[in-house]
Amino acid sequence: MTVPLIDIRNISKAFGGVQALAGVSLDIAPGEVHALCGENGAGKSTLIKILAGSVTPDSGEVLIGGQPLQVGNVRASEDAGIAVIHQESVAFPHLSTYDNIFVGREPKTLAGLWLDRAMMRRETKKLLDRLGEHFDPSRSVGELSVAQRQMVGMARALSRDCRLLIMDEPTASLSARETEVLFKLIRQLKSDGVSILYVSHRLEEIFLLADRVTVFRDGKYVGTKLKTEITQDDLIRMMVGRELLQVEGMVKSETEHPGGEVMLDVRGLTREGMFRDVSFSVRKGEIVGMAGLVGAGRSEVAQAIFGAMPLDAGVVSVAGENLRSGSIDAALDAGIALVPEDRQHLGLVLPMSVGANLSMAVLPKMTRAGLLASGKEEALAGEMIRDLRVKTANARVPAETLSGGNQQKLVIGKWLATRPRVLMLDEPTRGVDVGAKAEIYKLIREMANGGMAVIVISSDLPEVLLLSDRIVVMRQGRVAGELSRQDATQEKVLALAMLNANTQ
Amino acid sequence: MLLLVLIALMLTAGHLEPKFVSSRSQEGLLSHVWDLAMLALPMTFIIITGGIDLSVGSMMALTSVTLGKLYIAGHHPLWLAILAALCVGIACGLLNAIFITKVGVHPLIVTLATYSAYRGLAEGISLPEIYSGFPDWFRSLGQNTYGSLQLIGWLFIIAAVFCAIVLAKTPFGRSIYAIGFNETAARFSGLKVNRAKVIIYTLSGLAAAIVSINYSGLRDNAQANVGLNMELDVITAVVLGGTSIFGGRGRILGTILGVALIHETREFVGWHYHRNEYVPLVVGALLIVAVAANALLMRRSSRT
Repeated sequence: MTVPLIDIRNISKAFGGVQALAGVSLDIAPGEVHALCGENGAGKSTLIKILAGSVTPDSGEVLIGGQPLQVGNVRASEDAGIAVIHQESVAFPHLSTYDNIFVGREPKTLAGLWLDRAMMRRETKKLLDRLGEHFDPSRSVGELSVAQRQMVGMARALSRDCRLLIMDEPTASLSARETEVLFKLIRQLKSDGVSILYVSHRLEEIFLLADRVTVFRDGKYVGTKLKTEITQDDLIRMMVGRELLQVEGMVKSETEHPGGEVMLDVRGLTREGMFRDVSFSVRKGEIVGMAGLVGAGRSEVAQAIFGAMPLDAGVVSVAGENLRSGSIDAALDAGIALVPEDRQHLGLVLPMSVGANLSMAVLPKMTRAGLLASGKEEALAGEMIRDLRVKTANARVPAETLSGGNQQKLVIGKWLATRPRVLMLDEPTRGVDVGAKAEIYKLIREMANGGMAVIVISSDLPEVLLLSDRIVVMRQGRVAGELSRQDATQEKVLALAMLNANTQ
Repeated sequence: MLLLVLIALMLTAGHLEPKFVSSRSQEGLLSHVWDLAMLALPMTFIIITGGIDLSVGSMMALTSVTLGKLYIAGHHPLWLAILAALCVGIACGLLNAIFITKVGVHPLIVTLATYSAYRGLAEGISLPEIYSGFPDWFRSLGQNTYGSLQLIGWLFIIAAVFCAIVLAKTPFGRSIYAIGFNETAARFSGLKVNRAKVIIYTLSGLAAAIVSINYSGLRDNAQANVGLNMELDVITAVVLGGTSIFGGRGRILGTILGVALIHETREFVGWHYHRNEYVPLVVGALLIVAVAANALLMRRSSRT
C-alpha cells in the first residue's frame, strides 16, 4: 500500500459524559474507496464532523498528505481538499445551483464589486456535464430532485479540487437508477485519484464499491478488513460485538407468551415518502419492540398511530374499533399515548412546572366546578413523583431543571395519568444515564404487566432484545420482518434491518 | 413592580399638579381608558400564546361603519344594527383565526393583512360619510354613569375578573400558557390548540365590536377612522403589563396595571405640558424602561 492520503490517529471526543469516539485510527490511500460501518451511535457521524472541521476532537491528530490538519476549522478542512456530501448537503435551497456551488468564493469582476455570473454558470455547466447531469445551472436548488441536489453537492466538491470526498448515506433517498449513476461516478472519481470515505448502512453497496471496510462500535475502533477477506455475516458480527447489556433479570415478561387479546392493530399504514404498508398488532400485556435503522420510518409510524401525522392509507384500531385517522383527539379517546423521541420539543413544556407537565394530558380531570383544583394536581404530581421515583425538589420547580432521565420519567408520568391502553415509547432511554435506564426498563415492564399494550421504539439493540416479547423490524419504511423473543438475536435483527430481502 | 411605578407616577403628579390626582378629575379621565382596557383583555390571551392581533383598530372601524350604515343610512332598527355590528366583529375575529389555524399563516402576517383589509372595507362602505344622529337613549347608554362608572366600565370589570379567573384557574387558561411556551408539545399533549386560538381571536373581534358600539354612543358618530392606531396602544399596554411577546408569560392583573400606567402617563403629560405631542415619546420611553427592567430582573432570577 502506498503512503496514505489521510491518516487519522488516535482521535477521541466526548460530548458531555458520553464518549462518542475513543482513540480511533484509520487511514485512507489515494484513490481508495474506504467504507465505514457501525450501528447507530457508533461514532461515524462524529468522525465525519471532525474531518469536516465542524467538531474539534479532544485528542488525536489528522494528517493529510503527511501534513497535520488544523482540526476544528472548517476552512482549513476545505483548503486541505476534504469535502462532505450529506443527504441534504446543499446549504441554500432558494439560491441557484451555481450560487450554491460557488458560495463563499464567487468569481468577481469590476474590481471585485460584481459577481461574474456568466462565468459561474459556464463552470457549473461543465461540472454538471462531467457528472452526467444536464439541468439548467440557474435553477434554484430547492426545486431539484434529491438526486440532483446530491449532484450539486458533488459538483461543489469537484469544483474545489477535493482529495477526500466523504459521503454520508448517499443512496438513502435515491432510486435504483440514480444509485447506478452515483456508483459510476464514484468509480470515475476513484480512477482520477480521489479518495472516498463511504459511510453506509447498506452492506450490499459496501461490498460493491469499497476496497476496505472499517467498523466502529460504541465509539471504538473494531477493525479494518479488505473487502476480499470477509463476508457480510462477518461484517455484521464485527458491528454487533459479543457483549450484551444485562440489567438484572427483572425486566423479562412474567408469562412466556403474553396471551391477552389484541389491543392495537394497524393494517396497511402508508404515508408517501415515509412508510408503506405497515401492519402489525400488539396484545394486552405485551411489549413489542420496533427495531430498525435511523430513518427507517419507525417514529413516523408511531406519530401516525397517535394521529399526529395524516395517513395516505391504512387503518388503526384499538380493541377492535377503528380510529379516525390523523386525529390526536381520536387517538387519545381510544387510550393511545405517545412518549415522543424529542422530549424537549414534543414531550414537555420545559419552562412550566413539574406538576403542570404531569397534569397536562388530563387537565379536565383536575377540575372542581370547572376550575383547576390545586389539591387534585398536587395529589397527581405527588403520586407520579413517588411511583416513578422522579428526582425533583418539589412539583413546583420548572421541568427544565430536571436531568434527562427524570424529564423522561415526567413524560411517561404525564401519559400514565391518562391510564392509556396503548403506550408507545420512542427512544425512551436516549440521553438517559445508566441508573435511570434500568428504572425506566422496570417501569415499562410493570406497565405491560398491568395490562397495557406497549410499543418500544429503540435504536439500541440490546435494549430492544432485553425488553421485547416480540420484535418488529423496519427497513426503509416497510416492515422487514417479525421475530419472537426466542428467535431474536442481534445478528438476526441487524440482518433484517440492513439487508435487502433478496440478499438474505 | 409596575404598581410601584404607578404609585411613584401618581405621587410625582400630585406634587406637580395637585388637581390631577383628585378623585373628580380621575373620574373624568376614566371615560377615556375603557376602550384600551377592554381590548387589552383578549390581547393578553393572544400575546401569551405567542400571537398578536394587529387588526383590532380596523375591526373597530368596520363594526362602527356597519352600525352607522345600517341605522343612519339604512334606517334599520337600532337593535338590529347593534346585533349586526357584534356579528361583524365576531366574524372578523373568526376569519383571522381561520387563517391562523387552518391555513397556518403567522398571526403577525394574517392580522397585518386584515389590518389593511378591514379598514379598507370600512372606508369603501362609508366614505366620505360620517354617520351621526343616534337616538338619545343609545347615547346616554355610553355617556351616563351608574354608581360612578359608565356601562362599559362595569362591563370591563366583570370581563376582567372573568378573564383573570379563566387564565389562572381553568384548563383553558393553562393551555394558553402551554401553547405560548411550546405549541408542539401542547399539541402532542392532546391540548386543543386550534380551538383555543379560534376562541381568543374571535373574542378580540367581539371586544372590538363592543368598544366601537360604545364609542358611537359616546361621541354620536360612526365612521371609518375609529380606532386608528388603537392596536399599538393595546399591545403596548399588554407588554408593559409584563406579558412576554415571546409567549408563555403574562397575567391579567399585569395588563390592568399596564393599561393604568399608560393611561395616567398619557393624561398627565397632556395635562402638565398642555402638549399632546410629548405623549408618544413618553409612552415609548416608558415601554423601553419597563421591558428592559423586566429583562434584567428575569436574568438575575435565572442566574441564582
